[in-house]
This record gives sequence, C-alpha cells and structure tokens, in this order.
Amino acid sequence: MLRSDHILATVEMIQKENLDVRAVTMGINLLDCRGGDVGETCRRVEEKIGTAAARFVETCNKVSLKYGIPVVNKRISVTPIAFVGAGFDRHGFVELALALDRAATGAGVDILGGFSAQVEKGMTATDREYIASIPEALARTTKLCASINIASSHKGINMDALALVGQTVKDLAEITREQHGFGAAKFVVFCNQPGDNPFMAGAIHGLEEADLVLNVGVSGPGVIARALERLIHAKGRENLRLDDIAEEIKQTTFRVTRCGELIGRKVSEELGIEFGVVDLSLAPTPTVGDSVGEILQILGVDVVGAPGSTAILAMLNDAVKKGGIFASKAVGGLSGAFIPVMEDAVLAEAVGSGALCLEKLEAMTCVCSVGLDMIPIPGAVDADTISAIIADEMALGMINNKTTAVRLIPVPGKEAGEIVSFGGLFGASPIMEVRNVGKSSRFIAWGGRIPAPIHSFKN
Amino acid sequence: MGKEMVMSVMSKDRPGIVADITGAIYQLQGDLADLNQSVLCDYFTMILVATFDDWVTPEDVAAAFSHIPSETRLEVVVKEMTTPLGAKAKKPQDTYVLTAQGKNKSGLVHRISLFCFQHGINILDLATTLKGDQYTMILQLDFSRVESVDAIRSSLASCAVEAGLTVVLQHEDIFKAVSEITLF
Repeated sequence: MLRSDHILATVEMIQKENLDVRAVTMGINLLDCRGGDVGETCRRVEEKIGTAAARFVETCNKVSLKYGIPVVNKRISVTPIAFVGAGFDRHGFVELALALDRAATGAGVDILGGFSAQVEKGMTATDREYIASIPEALARTTKLCASINIASSHKGINMDALALVGQTVKDLAEITREQHGFGAAKFVVFCNQPGDNPFMAGAIHGLEEADLVLNVGVSGPGVIARALERLIHAKGRENLRLDDIAEEIKQTTFRVTRCGELIGRKVSEELGIEFGVVDLSLAPTPTVGDSVGEILQILGVDVVGAPGSTAILAMLNDAVKKGGIFASKAVGGLSGAFIPVMEDAVLAEAVGSGALCLEKLEAMTCVCSVGLDMIPIPGAVDADTISAIIADEMALGMINNKTTAVRLIPVPGKEAGEIVSFGGLFGASPIMEVRNVGKSSRFIAWGGRIPAPIHSFKN
Repeated sequence: MGKEMVMSVMSKDRPGIVADITGAIYQLQGDLADLNQSVLCDYFTMILVATFDDWVTPEDVAAAFSHIPSETRLEVVVKEMTTPLGAKAKKPQDTYVLTAQGKNKSGLVHRISLFCFQHGINILDLATTLKGDQYTMILQLDFSRVESVDAIRSSLASCAVEAGLTVVLQHEDIFKAVSEITLF
C-alpha cells in the first residue's frame, strides 16, 4: 500500500495545481511517401498519416480518461518536408501543405508540424522553392506549422537563408493581414533545431528518428507556480532560501515528469509504437496561473524584465532539468522554460507596462528555452531588421551550443503599444517596440555564412 | 501438506507482542506465511496465515495465544482456511485510489463504502484519519468489474456533493509514478 502522505501530496498536485500532459506528439517518417509526381506524393502522404494516426487521438483520450490526467494537445510531426518534396517547385510544396492539412484534419489532431527544411550550411534549389512556398502554404492551411533550421553550432549561420526568412516573416504577416499577421505565428526559425521536440510550431520528425515515435511534453508552469506558493505559505518566506526553492522546483518537476512518462508509455503501448522522449519544457498558456512570468514574480522580481529576471530564469530552468531528467527514461526535445510573450499573460503585461524590452528578452533566452518567441512587433519593421534580430538570436544558440529560435509577428498596420490578439492558445499582447529599426541592412546584405565557431577556449 | 490457518489477534499494544505471538506459532512448529499488523490509537491488531502439522487444531493455537500476557485480554480468532495458500486471488490490474476529505460527521465511511458496493467496486484497503474536524479517507479500490470509469466519476461526483466531501479518484499507477523511484 502506498503511504497516505504521498497519496495526499499527489492529490493536492492533481487537484489544486491542474496537472496535465501538455502535448503528446506522434512523429511520422514521410521519406517513403515520395511518388513520381506531386499528386502521387500527396496521396501517399495522406495515406501514411491516415494509417499511422488512425487511433492516435482516440487512444490519447482513452488513456487520459483512465488515468484522470488531461492530455491537452494531440499533435503530429513529420519529416522536414523539403526532403520529402526534393525537386518540387513552390506550387508542389503548396500542394504538399494542403495534403498535410487534410491529413491533420482527418486524424483529428490540433496541429501538424514539419513543413520544414534544414539549411544551416547551404540551400538547394528545392530549399529555395520550399522557402518561397511558405507564405501561401501557411495562409491556405489551418493546422500546419512551418519551421526552418538556418544555423547550428557545428555549421555556423547560413546568412543567405537568414535574409530570405526575414522577408518570409514579412510576407507571411502581409498575406494574413486580415488576421493581424497570424501566419507569422506558425513559422519558427531555429538554430540547433531538435528532431524530437513535441512542441509547436517547431516540431519536426528528424531524419535520425525511427519510422514512428511518440514524444511527450510535460505539464505547464502553473504546477510549479502553485507548488512554490504552497511552500512559501507553509514555511514562511523568511524561513526559505533560494536553494530550498530550487529543491521544491526539482521535486515538483520529478512528479510532473513522471506523469508525462507514464501517459506517454501507456499511449505508446496501446498504439504499439516506440516511446521517444519526454520534453521537460515549461510551456505557458494565456490562461491566468499558467505563466513562467508569474514564477519569476513569485521568486522575487516585481515585474518581469527587472534586474534579477535572468538569474531567476536560469535557476528555474536548471532545477526543472535536474528534477525531470531522473524521472524519465529518455529526455529530449527543447527541455527548458519557454518565454513566449503572447502566450504568457504576465510577460505580455510586462511588455505593455514597458518593463520588458526586446533586448532583455534576448538576454533571458541565453539561459532558457527557446528564444524570441511569439513577439508581436510593429508591421512597419523592415525585413532586414527582422533578419538581423534573428541573426542575433541564432548567434546565441550557435555559440552556447543550445537551441534558440525566433517567432516574430510583424502586425500589419499596427504600432508599438497597440494590442493584438489571436485568441485561444496563441494569446494576446501589446506590440513590442523594436529599437534601431533600419540600421542593420548593410550587415544582412553580405550574405554567405557566419563560420562555425571554435569549440574550445570557452569564455 | 499440513493445515493452513488464518489467525486474528487484537489487544492493547506493548513492545514484544509480535515476538510473543510468532513465538507461540514457532512452538507449535507452525510455518508463517503472510502477516499484516497495524496499530491504531494504542491498540494492536494482526492477521496472520501459517501452516501447521495435521495434528494441530485451531483450539491448540488459540490456547497457545491465551498464555501471552496483555494489559487487556488478547482477542483471538483462529480458523482453518478453506482456500489453499497458493490459490490467492491475483492483484487486480485496474486499481484506483479514492481520497475523500470533508468535515467530520457520522456515516461518511458507510456512504462511500456503500457507493463502492453499489457500483461493483471492491475495497482492497481503507485507511481513515481524523484531524481536528477534518475527516480523510483513503481507499484502494478494485475496478476490474467496472465498465466505465467515466460513469463512476460522474456518479461519485454527485455522491460527494451530497455527502459534503471533496473526492479525487485516480489510477494507482499515478501515485506509484510520482512517489516511487522505479516506474513499472
């Protein structure tokens, strides 16, 4: 028999802290779907996803019901599509996008990721066609997410691709002008993109993966926030030090990760497919009480962005990893706290009050996952400035051997301080000011590559 | 082959009581199998299963126990088992843990246990505590005869509202996963 105090502690976690599993993502290899032409390839892609994911959503729901733990998002990730559509032109890639969208709808999943390419060193003619197809592909689909890896610690930064993606972000926003540039919210630019990340918009089924695999994203920051509030209330702020706080985060993360691991293994078992990794990322949602920003406030900064924010985030991120890593057979994906502005109500509020600026966010991304995420910027910011912001973030990832990413949304016709809302999980936020606009064009115009960094003399 | 017996003992708790009871069984050349003991508010209770030679009767065992000193009289029941030891029922696959907490009043345990009975749920283990005026019940339940956990959840929710209890029903695996190092 289990110990009563353990049972009651777990009940408290489930009841008061809204424990859930944030995402179960099925990775599907599409390399074997290549047909003689676009039409045949699309048919094979739909057929493969249809077969592989036929029982996926139903099984997640069944396991969720049995264990009483909600599985919030059911998603699919596929092989980066530029590999599947090698030789296709931009129209072919749009057709593939539509096929993926139909497949996602048929499988009943929330989102499908993997409309992607990996161009960290060089671009093929196909990669260029793929990039050119992104605005139309995302504008004409509802469930599709795109991502591109343009940099890595081993290969450096592909500055030609960088210049193209800056323009792509602008075009995406423009083509979805009616929805305040929402298209750009479905496109992420990466450095060191992992192939087993279950979170969107950057999930792909990497080339290194097996045919089918299941990856799980653990519960959100709300659980940690509530556990810390409970600890502070029970012991008194004056009797706690930061190492006690870190220990509590570790223990809570252990329990949270265990639930993710259990649900993941059970869904895998039922579907008869391999269980991949648990991603330890704390992914906030716009729901009040499910915010990484709130944890920072609980830990001692009155507003996010105040001095100390980066240090607290570093401790949180590290404690989450330490607690989670022992709880799971295999940890992977992004595994760090996310700070997506629009999806985190407290961060969005800090942007609105002027407490949190782009430069501070950039500094914070040095110590956590995953980068400058879901940041609405004025629609007038030019493509080169966007490329340059991306370049800075890529450099952080490249030099520090970590994943970084950028998801900027230039909101057409809106200025800094105005509010933009996409609703649901995508959230809302005041538009963030971008300083020094239009002053980086000479840098972006160089093109070429930033060579791979030295992997020694780390200072 | 021998004779399998189940024994139950209750008395005021004191140091050495387990040694005395198992000593009496040893004197009768009994071979101890399963044993479960608990102490509640200074009272000791134990249930044991052991195998004896054919010549030993339940009365002999009870008589051996009666010599054990105790502040209160030792309450003893000894019965010969009808099902052999090896034929013990397997632990059900679907075990759930139900916790119910609320303001103390009479009839709470009855209400929850009646609910379990009415829904074909067997109670495998039950522990309750009273702290101040808060009553806490923790039940380990066999759900192998339950067809829809969802249906149980909704009727349990209305039962809990009527009884003024906060209930949480979770699969046992969740508790194991978050409290134990080994995950199945």
